Amino acid sequence: MSRRTLWSAAIILVIIPATIWAGIYLLNDRRYYFVSLLIILYTMIPFALIFERRKPQARELIAIAVMASLAVAGRAAFFMLPQFKPVTAIVIIAGVSLGAEAGFLVGALAGFVSNFFFGQGPWTPWQMFCFGLIGFLAGLIFRRRDKLPTRSVLCVFGGLATLVIYGGIINFGSHLMFSPQFSWEILATVYISGFWFDLVHAAATVFFLLVLARPMLEKLERVKTKYGLIQEKS
Amino acid sequence: MRDHFSSSHPLIQAIYFVAVLIFSMLFMHPVFQLLALTAAAAYVLLLKGRRAVRFLLLGMVPLLLLAAVLNPAFNHAGVTILFYLRSGNPVTLESLLYGVAAACTFVTVIIWFSCLHVVMTSDKWVYLLGRILPALSLLLTMSLRFVPRYVEQAKRISAAQRCIGRDVTQGNWLVRARNGMTILSILTTWALENAMETADSMKARGYGLPGRTSFSLFRWGTRDSRLLLTLLLLLGIVGLGAAAGENTIRFFPSILYPDITWRSMTVYTAYGLLCSLPLLLNGWEEWRWRSTVSAS
Repeated sequence: MSRRTLWSAAIILVIIPATIWAGIYLLNDRRYYFVSLLIILYTMIPFALIFERRKPQARELIAIAVMASLAVAGRAAFFMLPQFKPVTAIVIIAGVSLGAEAGFLVGALAGFVSNFFFGQGPWTPWQMFCFGLIGFLAGLIFRRRDKLPTRSVLCVFGGLATLVIYGGIINFGSHLMFSPQFSWEILATVYISGFWFDLVHAAATVFFLLVLARPMLEKLERVKTKYGLIQEKS
Repeated sequence: MRDHFSSSHPLIQAIYFVAVLIFSMLFMHPVFQLLALTAAAAYVLLLKGRRAVRFLLLGMVPLLLLAAVLNPAFNHAGVTILFYLRSGNPVTLESLLYGVAAACTFVTVIIWFSCLHVVMTSDKWVYLLGRILPALSLLLTMSLRFVPRYVEQAKRISAAQRCIGRDVTQGNWLVRARNGMTILSILTTWALENAMETADSMKARGYGLPGRTSFSLFRWGTRDSRLLLTLLLLLGIVGLGAAAGENTIRFFPSILYPDITWRSMTVYTAYGLLCSLPLLLNGWEEWRWRSTVSAS
């Protein structure tokens, strides 16, 4: 935990301000998308480094890959319903069951892998970051290992996280991607026009958590007990 | 038509795409934008053929127009006033052109990504990431393999369930939904159990021990060395040109861009060559093939 804190501190206190400074002075303060993209990528670096440094076991790797793949397969299964996807719900379940760090990796990986099937674009890093962040928060908030969180609590968290965190960040990103200058008016327009999509997405997350959370968490708990997966490190 | 750039070393492709994406995002000078947009559009046409025509005409052109119109509606800076909106705000030439330039950047980046999607297949990502981030690259490999495998397994489970009348195609909608959840539940259990066996098998074969090698089909050939040299040379010229400010343009309050000199012409040429590198490579391979055929 301390090394991640150190890395995060270095990135938040030194590298991000330096990038913003370079964006303002060297690029004439007009490349918001480029600068924000760099910042989004920086935030993912500590997770990648910690994970690599730790030399994860095969079982841990596989568990993360399985959850990410289920999320992607879920996105593929609901391709005909726009925004109505189980990805966020599965990422939250992974975060709750496997911990904050694994939650982040499942989310980021699901975002990256699913775009191999649906098309990579300038939106990929943003999706990776949003899914990852939601998985990370789910892991942090529901970290009590002895008791599974209740369904209603998970649903409230899932709905809010999808609406506020995912919708908030993705819409902000698409504003920077689409228009050259930051403007509150355009941002408001983007939020208003994207609101119903975000609402559908949030409703989907609540629905899937309602149906999936209990059985999937129980399955994961069973597998964890049966195979002694991911011991809690103190 | 076969794309020859796709068969070059993944490192070359990665350098190329990172360079053109960054430059396309940063440069707003019209000459640079036009060069990048033309090269990107030509390359996507070469890669995707007829599908790309529809993508460009129905997807990108409306997007370009929409993004170009959006800016003057919100941004009223600039000295050359064209007309006034009903709200009393002026529409200026500068903000219109700025909108066009920004839209151009956006569309070019999307087209580059569409090329990247075809050229940089998942095996190349895994190969490149495997060098610096082995564990994450393994995660990526496994996920990419698991997704089609789960889809396949879901079909099998569904076929088995159909025999006992519990498929998603049977019963009223409530029963169907419940059957769907059962299939998903079976799939999850299978996926987790199966994954643990894979993990044990990996461990039994020595995963995590030092001295690990990885399989890849990619070889570094003479052509790759030449391509790398060309790329670095062109990147150097464009980088120097950018440092000298050849790529800059000021939009507000009035449009101002550097004079066109021999130096700027050199930078334009280098940027044009850089963006159309895959096209040039394809032309060269085509020419070489024809001359080989006619000589024999």
